[in-house]
Amino acid sequence: MTDLDQLMDHETDPVCGMAINPDAARAEGLTAEYQGRSHFFCGRGCLLEFADDPERVFKPDHVPHM
Amino acid sequence: MSTTNQPELSLPVTGMTCASCVNRIERFLNKADGVTTATVNLATERATVQFDPTKIDRTGIVQTIQAAGYDVRADAGTSEAATEHDDEQRSLLVQALAAAGIGLAMMVVMLWPGGVPWSMERVNVWFLVPATIVQFIFGRRFLVAAARGLPHLDLNMNTLVAMGTLAAYGYSLFVTLFPEAVRSAGLGMETYFDSAALIVGLILFGRWLEARAKGQAAGAVKALLELQPRTARMIRNGVEMDLPVDQVRVDDLLRVRPGDKVPVDGILTDGASALDESMLTGESLPVEKSMGDRVIGATLNTSGSFVMRAEKVGAETALSQIVAMVEQAQGSKAPIQRVADRVTGWFVPAVVGVALLTFALWMLLGPEPRLPLALSSAITVLIIACPCAMGLATPTAIMVGTGKGAEHGILVRNGAALEQAQRVTTVVLDKTGTLTRGVLSVINVIPESIDERELLSLAAAAERGSEHPIAEAIVRHAEAAGLALPDASTFEAIAGRGVRATVDGRKVLIGTEKLLDESGVDVDAPPTDPAHSPIFVALDGRLAGVITVADTIRPEAAEAVRRLRDRGLDVWLISGDRAATAHEIGARAGIGADRILAEVLPGQKSAKIAELQANGAVVAMVGDGINDAPALAQADLGIAIGTGADVALEASDITILGEDLRSVPNSIGLSRATMRTIRQNLGWAFGYNVVLIPVAAGALFPIFALLLNPALAAAAMALSSVSVVSNSLRLRAFNPA
Repeated sequence: MTDLDQLMDHETDPVCGMAINPDAARAEGLTAEYQGRSHFFCGRGCLLEFADDPERVFKPDHVPHM
Repeated sequence: MSTTNQPELSLPVTGMTCASCVNRIERFLNKADGVTTATVNLATERATVQFDPTKIDRTGIVQTIQAAGYDVRADAGTSEAATEHDDEQRSLLVQALAAAGIGLAMMVVMLWPGGVPWSMERVNVWFLVPATIVQFIFGRRFLVAAARGLPHLDLNMNTLVAMGTLAAYGYSLFVTLFPEAVRSAGLGMETYFDSAALIVGLILFGRWLEARAKGQAAGAVKALLELQPRTARMIRNGVEMDLPVDQVRVDDLLRVRPGDKVPVDGILTDGASALDESMLTGESLPVEKSMGDRVIGATLNTSGSFVMRAEKVGAETALSQIVAMVEQAQGSKAPIQRVADRVTGWFVPAVVGVALLTFALWMLLGPEPRLPLALSSAITVLIIACPCAMGLATPTAIMVGTGKGAEHGILVRNGAALEQAQRVTTVVLDKTGTLTRGVLSVINVIPESIDERELLSLAAAAERGSEHPIAEAIVRHAEAAGLALPDASTFEAIAGRGVRATVDGRKVLIGTEKLLDESGVDVDAPPTDPAHSPIFVALDGRLAGVITVADTIRPEAAEAVRRLRDRGLDVWLISGDRAATAHEIGARAGIGADRILAEVLPGQKSAKIAELQANGAVVAMVGDGINDAPALAQADLGIAIGTGADVALEASDITILGEDLRSVPNSIGLSRATMRTIRQNLGWAFGYNVVLIPVAAGALFPIFALLLNPALAAAAMALSSVSVVSNSLRLRAFNPA
């Protein structure tokens, strides 16, 4: 993998929309498996929000925000 | 700022990492019924809540935060609890004095020489109001507690007090309200209002003394808590500010100035100083600390200013854990307590039976006036039998004993450990880190071809790059000798065998005999002391000398062993080292060759302990809490020494803070003193009841015409509780040495 690839390789926090480095999130335990897919979060608050109601963030009218 | 008069609460929230955490907690709180506004601050980690106290309280708010997935740090609650305790104590004393005063005044009127110029009927009516106040207001706690136990047939000392006083009060009430009926039955107008009031007063007084004694015993924990500094000087973005210590988070940088206390546990990152750690370890000399050293919260910075990084805060700090453990131990039950509980369990119903029997016998066989005498005797039995003293016998002694231990750096896990410690017959001491310091030191420098200082300086220069304990010992020794160490230009560590380096252009090879031999060096050195480990030094392919290193025995080891023996204990040494090393250390500590178990692998230590146990020994194992954990667990009593309190607390029954081996005999002495006190207490409490119940029932009446009255019984009972508590408090004077 080149440096550029590494830079491009980020995930989006589905709750707040922030760009997340998956390795960093994994190291902090800020990941969740949902419907066969891994999701990454900026912090505990977003992870808990997601865990409360994961469907909510996938609705078309969901606008990611803090 | 709020314009309402609603109460506001500021709670320290833990577990927040980001702004979304803040939003989440605020949302949960603002949704909660009764919360007017809630704001959460990530930087200070506090939630500020304005609320309607009729709808929600502190607990409800904490639960809401917990429901959101976070927690509230327990803080500041302790002082509130302490105030409550003080208020409770004061109200007990006031009620006790008032009740006893009223009872005493009534008794004076009743017993006035030559009688008072009023009829007894009239006096009884005057007594009715104060007696009722004492019985139902001051004495309410006994009635409520007794009534609560009744449905479950839980008969306890409150039952005895309630029954006794209600019987006295009830009979007196009947006499007062229906004097004609009493007169026609041929009885006098005497009432027992005075006795009932005096009993309530005296028992309340006993409770007050008990509460006070408990407060004093808990002083050990309070003293520990007071060690905790209130503020910390935090460095954030280059700004230094003083903040409450509960706001310090892991990884915060903190400045500690001379005279300050270290706020939390952490690592020294900049500067150097000497810390007085005596409050936690008992070590009286200040300990030098420099970069990378661990510093412990609540210890005192005596000299330089330094910066530390917080590693453990709040409930995680060594001090908090010690406090938690002492509190737990003080509240724990020793197995001997179960005996007392069992006795109390059948004791109360038995006493009620004896009281009923007493009443029946006096009614059938007693002299006239039968009813008052029968009633008075039955009440006296109920009052005198109150097993308070029995209930106090064990817990007060455990509380004082474990508190006393904590003062001397001896942390006892629980009452069972304390009881076990006095049964120990055999003490097994681990060698490394227990009898010895667990750190290697240079013993001898034996030059072959160059002079001693040059040998040491070259060896230390070569070893400086290594982190091996042997290398550290050599470098430390050279530095202590004031030698200047040249820089090594090349360095190579040979795992488990030694190092190869170039110093001042000369090739230095340091290591085992085998390493040098394989490198073609002629290793022909005179034999060294078998208890020491020889390290060979070659210079440009020729043997330059030998340096011997060994672990050194603790200076107080021999004294500690002698004191254990003086207490009649069999002392053994266990070690994984070679027999020669173990015997050498054993001889210096005064442990005989027949009591040394050498070359025991760590995993076999517990088997060796089991062997001793199979031969009938009750074994205490003394070792560090990490490597010796299995042996500590196998032993009847595990004593951990020389390890961080946090680790050792888990693995051992008794943890010794600091490194003084004399704490081992001290802890056994303390446990023996505590158990002796418990036995005295139980003996006294039980004996008192066995002797006085028959007297109260009237056993001495037929011979000596001697009969106790209920008020005297209450005084005797209070005295017995007081004597038990005082006996326990005597332990405070225990001097382990």
